Amino acid sequence: MEVTLLMGIIITLIAMVVALDSSLEGFFIFRPIIVCPLIGLAVGDLETGLLAAGIVELAFAGITAVGGVVPPDAVMTSIMTVVLAKTTGEPVAAAFALAVPFGLLAQFIGNIKSTVLSFFNKTADRYAKEANLGGIMRLCIFGMTLTVVIYGVLTFLSVYVAQDALVDLVNMMPEWLTHGFSVAGGLLPAIGFAMLLRVILKAKYVPYLLAGFLFATFIPIDNILPVAIMGVAFALLEYYRVNNTNKGGESNEGI
Amino acid sequence: MKASKKEKKYQKVSKRDITALGYRSLLNQAIFNYERMQNIGFTATLAPCLKKIYKNDKKKLAEVTEDNLEFINTHNVLVPFLEGLMVSLYEGGEDPETVKKIKISMFGPLAGIGDAIFWFTVMPIMSGICASLASEGNVLGPILYFLVFLAVFILRFPLAHMGYSTGVSALDKIQANTEKVGNSASILGVTILGGLIASYVSITLLPQIEISDGTFISLQTDLFDKIIPNLLPFAFTFLIYFLLKKKVNPTILILSTLVVSVLLAFFGIL
Repeated sequence: MEVTLLMGIIITLIAMVVALDSSLEGFFIFRPIIVCPLIGLAVGDLETGLLAAGIVELAFAGITAVGGVVPPDAVMTSIMTVVLAKTTGEPVAAAFALAVPFGLLAQFIGNIKSTVLSFFNKTADRYAKEANLGGIMRLCIFGMTLTVVIYGVLTFLSVYVAQDALVDLVNMMPEWLTHGFSVAGGLLPAIGFAMLLRVILKAKYVPYLLAGFLFATFIPIDNILPVAIMGVAFALLEYYRVNNTNKGGESNEGI
Repeated sequence: MKASKKEKKYQKVSKRDITALGYRSLLNQAIFNYERMQNIGFTATLAPCLKKIYKNDKKKLAEVTEDNLEFINTHNVLVPFLEGLMVSLYEGGEDPETVKKIKISMFGPLAGIGDAIFWFTVMPIMSGICASLASEGNVLGPILYFLVFLAVFILRFPLAHMGYSTGVSALDKIQANTEKVGNSASILGVTILGGLIASYVSITLLPQIEISDGTFISLQTDLFDKIIPNLLPFAFTFLIYFLLKKKVNPTILILSTLVVSVLLAFFGIL
């Protein structure tokens, strides 16, 4: 499939809106689970968008800007996963791995932006001395505009202008290389999961991790909901256990 | 004492101004920068209230504005709570220096509570459930996700009012409740993560070993799957986990995963 000019413009507009949301963390429409289906709609293939949403969202589940580490950009990775899946005809998992470099590029540009914006603190300090709160507001609008413009340009270049070059590049790749990207697509979610585990896993939670793992390994399930319901059961057990202990021995005895 | 304190409310700012803190707090990261992070957006959110409170005292308005331009990095959903509280203190005639101290002592813990609730509990649970629905081609995945985070956004309004009217004591309440359900929420999250590792990390070994003439065993189906399926995804996730604990940068891990995958594919291992 080819990205037409109209598609390119629609994708760019979507990118500008969700990139703004990404910088503000307002409505969380910048998450892959939302962006991928939107891009899917823009290229006329919601199904690919949903498939990509499943893969990219999970890979980014733990890759968040917490604790000062700036992660690869989720928005750009989401957009390029769907676009590359459509333009190159590669499987979504391979398209995801191919999209990761674009996420890293956007991350790099975002880092430069946040560094450069530091200089505007001097301007803000000057406005403060004059009690010019309108000036402070204008700086905010400037920051948001900059985000939107940078993202729009980057998206349009990646999605529309570079598409032929990208398709040629992927076509030139030997089979083992594109297969390697598919393999990477299967491994990358582990990084997101490991980042989450690093934050929430404690020794006392290991039994629950094993239970969830065994459940999904041996019981055929279509989606994760049954595991989630088992998780709710475990969570309730813990909740009542703690509350009963706090009440003391009596409540444990009789029915 | 309590009654007189209540009378002081809404002297200079209106109920509407406090509600406005809810949506104005979207500005918090409008001009995020590495030197002082959310400072400018944070100040812009407070601006209309500050203007009303110090409308007759330009010098004090300048001083308070400068205070707020100092470094701040807190949680975007919980920030209206802090701002509501600060407005109530400024309005009540509290010394700006004191308000600044309260702000500095509160923004870190607020960020901690917010990250624990939203990034590390709500998001993984929602991501796990909604992504697996989307993988089946179900539009309900993204829609459900959107609705839940819309509700999270709407929380900003009651949080602003809570900060304004109840103040610091409310923070203790939030913290106590977070701790109470935090343990249970972590258990839910960890259980789901166990399921996600089994369902969404995939590694398939390709090599086959000839054990006698013409008889091959596949490393994957005849060896590893016989021990326990998904053993390799589990092991790989924990390898990354330990590397993260050793403070390896996630970006490096992503790039290495790409390179190693391609190499292993080249040698026909994966």
